Amino acid sequence: MEGARKLVSTFKVPIGPQHPALKEPSNFTLEVEGEYVVNVTARVGYNHRGIEKACENRTYLQDIYLIERICGICSHAHTTTFCQAVEECGGIQAPPRGIYLRTLVAELNRIHSHLLWLGVAGHEVGWDTLLMYVWRDREVVMEALEMLTGNRVNYAINTIGGVRRDITPEQMRKLTKWLKILEERTKHYRNLCLGEKTLLSRAIGIGILKPNVARSLCAVGPTLRASGIKWDVRRDDPYAAYDEIPFEVVTSDMCDVAGRVIVRVDETLQSINICKWILEHLPSGDIRTKLTRKIPPNEVVSRAEAPRGELIHFVRSNGTDKPDRVKVRAPTLGNILAVCEMLKGGYIADIPIVLAAIDPCFSCTDRMLFVDRTTDKNWVWSSEDLKRYSVRFYANEPFPRRR
Amino acid sequence: MIMSEEKKAQTEEKKAAPPRIEPPKVEPQKIQVENSMVEEIKKFLGEDLIEGKVQRPRRIYLKVKPGAHRKAIQYMKDNWGLYHISTISGLDLGNNLEVVFHLNARNIEVNLRAEIPRNKAKIDTITDLLPGSNLYEREVHDLFGIEFRGHPNLEKLELPEDWPKGVYPLRKDWKVPE
Amino acid sequence: MVGQKLIKWARTRSPWLLHFNSGSCNGCDIEIVAALTPRYDLERFGAIVKGSPRQADVLLATGPVTRQTAARLKRIYEQMAEPKFVVAVGTCATSGGVFSGLYNVLGGIDQAIPVDAYVLGCAAKPEAIIDGVAKLLAKLRSS
Repeated sequence: MEGARKLVSTFKVPIGPQHPALKEPSNFTLEVEGEYVVNVTARVGYNHRGIEKACENRTYLQDIYLIERICGICSHAHTTTFCQAVEECGGIQAPPRGIYLRTLVAELNRIHSHLLWLGVAGHEVGWDTLLMYVWRDREVVMEALEMLTGNRVNYAINTIGGVRRDITPEQMRKLTKWLKILEERTKHYRNLCLGEKTLLSRAIGIGILKPNVARSLCAVGPTLRASGIKWDVRRDDPYAAYDEIPFEVVTSDMCDVAGRVIVRVDETLQSINICKWILEHLPSGDIRTKLTRKIPPNEVVSRAEAPRGELIHFVRSNGTDKPDRVKVRAPTLGNILAVCEMLKGGYIADIPIVLAAIDPCFSCTDRMLFVDRTTDKNWVWSSEDLKRYSVRFYANEPFPRRR
Repeated sequence: MIMSEEKKAQTEEKKAAPPRIEPPKVEPQKIQVENSMVEEIKKFLGEDLIEGKVQRPRRIYLKVKPGAHRKAIQYMKDNWGLYHISTISGLDLGNNLEVVFHLNARNIEVNLRAEIPRNKAKIDTITDLLPGSNLYEREVHDLFGIEFRGHPNLEKLELPEDWPKGVYPLRKDWKVPE
Repeated sequence: MVGQKLIKWARTRSPWLLHFNSGSCNGCDIEIVAALTPRYDLERFGAIVKGSPRQADVLLATGPVTRQTAARLKRIYEQMAEPKFVVAVGTCATSGGVFSGLYNVLGGIDQAIPVDAYVLGCAAKPEAIIDGVAKLLAKLRSS
C-alpha cells in the first residue's frame, strides 16, 4: 500500500490535457481513491449507427449485409441468428448440409475470435510477444476462412435458406490438415498461459465476479462461464446443428481473469474438435432452400452463442419483402454491468486487463475519465496512457498486496 | 411483347396476398412443459393475462396488461427460477407502442409483452426485480421515448448528446432525413 | 537544403502511425493490427503504431464517422503536428459503405477531415493496407 502511494507522487504520467470542465464524453468514468477504483459508470454509444432503423427500409437479403457488419469479429453469429429468424418466419428450414456448413464456419469464427482475444490480452498486460505469436498462428484460421468463404472478415456465406458456397473434397483435406496444426499450437498456448508467472500474476485474483453477482447482473458468455455457471446457448437452446454434435461446455471456478483465459483457450480446443467432427460427418445434398421474397406476418426470437456470449435477434415480418422490426442485442451490452462491478475495489493498473477480459466489442476509442475522491482532481487518460501506467506499476511491484 | 408479359406477372404478384403459412404443427408432447407453464401463469394472473401461446419448443409469448408485468415477473422469479433477462424490445404497432421483455427461465425464452398508449408512454421499471435490465430500459427509452417509472438513472444510452429532445428515431412516424 | 532533404528522408522512412476507430464494425481494425503481425509485417517499412496524436505522422482512420466520434476525430487531427497525413481504411471510411444514409453516421472520414489516401475493401485486406501506406510514402518521397 505504501509503495503504491509513493508511486503516484513520484513519476509523471504523460496524460492528456487537464480540463475539469471538459464536456467530452468518455466511455468510462471512474471514481478513484488513490490507487483503488471505487465506482464506475459506463457510457456506450460510440458505435451507434442506426442499423435497426435502416433494416426496416431494406429487403431481407440486403439486411444480411448490414447485420453482418454490426461486429466484424463475430459477424457470422449475427448473420446466422438473423437468417434463422427469417427462415422461421417464413416457415422453412435449411437443408442439413447447409446447416452443417453454417456450423463449421461458426466454429472457425469462434476459433479466430478467441485467438484474437488471447493476443489482445497479452498486449494489454504488456506482453507483445504473445500477441505476435498468437496472431501468426491465427493466420491459419484466416487462411481456412478465406478458402471456404472468399474473405477473411465478413464472410457473407449465410443467406436466407442456407449457405451460398459449398465445400469441395480438396478443401476438406486441407482444412483437416490445418486443424491439426491449430490444435497443436493451441495446446502449446494453453500450457504457456497456465505456466507463465508474469501472465498469471496479472490475471489471478483480478476482476472477481462471484456467481450470484454474475447471475443477477445477467452476464453472458465466457464471462459467466468463468464464474462456474454452465450456461451456453448451444447446449440449452440448440440451433443450427448443435443438437447433433457432441461437445462439452467449458466452465471454470476461478471467477477471475485467469478463469476467463482458461475458458476461452479450452473453448478453442472444443471448437477444433467440433470442426473435425463436422468434416467427418458432413451430410450430402443441397446447401440452400428457396424462399419467397415476401415473408408472411410472423415474429420470431432467435438466439445464438456468439464468441462473446448470448446473441439475440427479434424479427417481426409483415407480409412484405422488408422486415417490420429487427431488434439486435449484442453480447457485450449484457456484460457492461458486470464489468463495472468487477472494476470496483481493484487497482487502476488492473483496468486494461479486466476490461479486455470481457472481450468488449465496442470501438476501441476509449478515453477514461478519472475522478479522485480524496484529492478532488480529475483527469482523462487514453488507453495507451493507462497501459503504460499499469506496466510500470507492476514492474515496480510485481505482487502487490491487495485489500 | 416479352416486356408486357413480365410486367403482367409482376403486377399479379403484387396483387396476390403472401401465402398464409400456418406455423408448423408441433407435436403436443414436445411442448408439454411450455403448455403447463402457460396454464400455470393463466391461473395466477387471471384477468391480467390477455393472451398466452406457445409458438414452438422453448418459445412462449405472453401478453399482459401494462400494470401486471411486475406481478408476472415476480411469480416467475419465485416459481420458475427466473434470473436472466436477455433484452427488452420496443415495438411501434401504429396506434400503440409495445414493450417486450425477453426473459429466460428453465432454458425457455418467455417473451412478456405489454401494450401502452402512444401519447402516454409510461410503464413501471423492473430494475429492482432484475438488476440486469438497467441498460436495456435505457436503450428503449432513448430510441422510443418510453419512460420507465422508477428507473435509477434514465439517461441517454446510445444517441449523441446533441440529439434533439423529443425525437425518437425508432418510432414509425420518424423518417431518416435525406 | 541538405537538412530539408535529410528530414524528408527520415520522415518518409519511419512513419509513426496512429490508429483511430470512428464507429466501425472492428473488421478493418483487426486487419490493421494483423498488418503489424509477422505474416504481413508493416513494421519493415519503419512504421510503428503509437497511441498519442502528438507523436504521429499518419492517421489510419476506419469507420463511417458516427456523430459521437466526429468531434474527437477533428480534435485528434488538430493535435497532430504538421506534416500530417490521413489514410481512410475501408469502404466505410471512404464513403460510408454499407452504412451510408443511416441517421447517426456522417458517411466517411472526408466528411470530417481532409484525407490523403483511400484504401478500399470490406474489410480491407492487410496487403491492401500495406499497399496504401507504401503508395502514400512513395508519393511523399517523390514530391
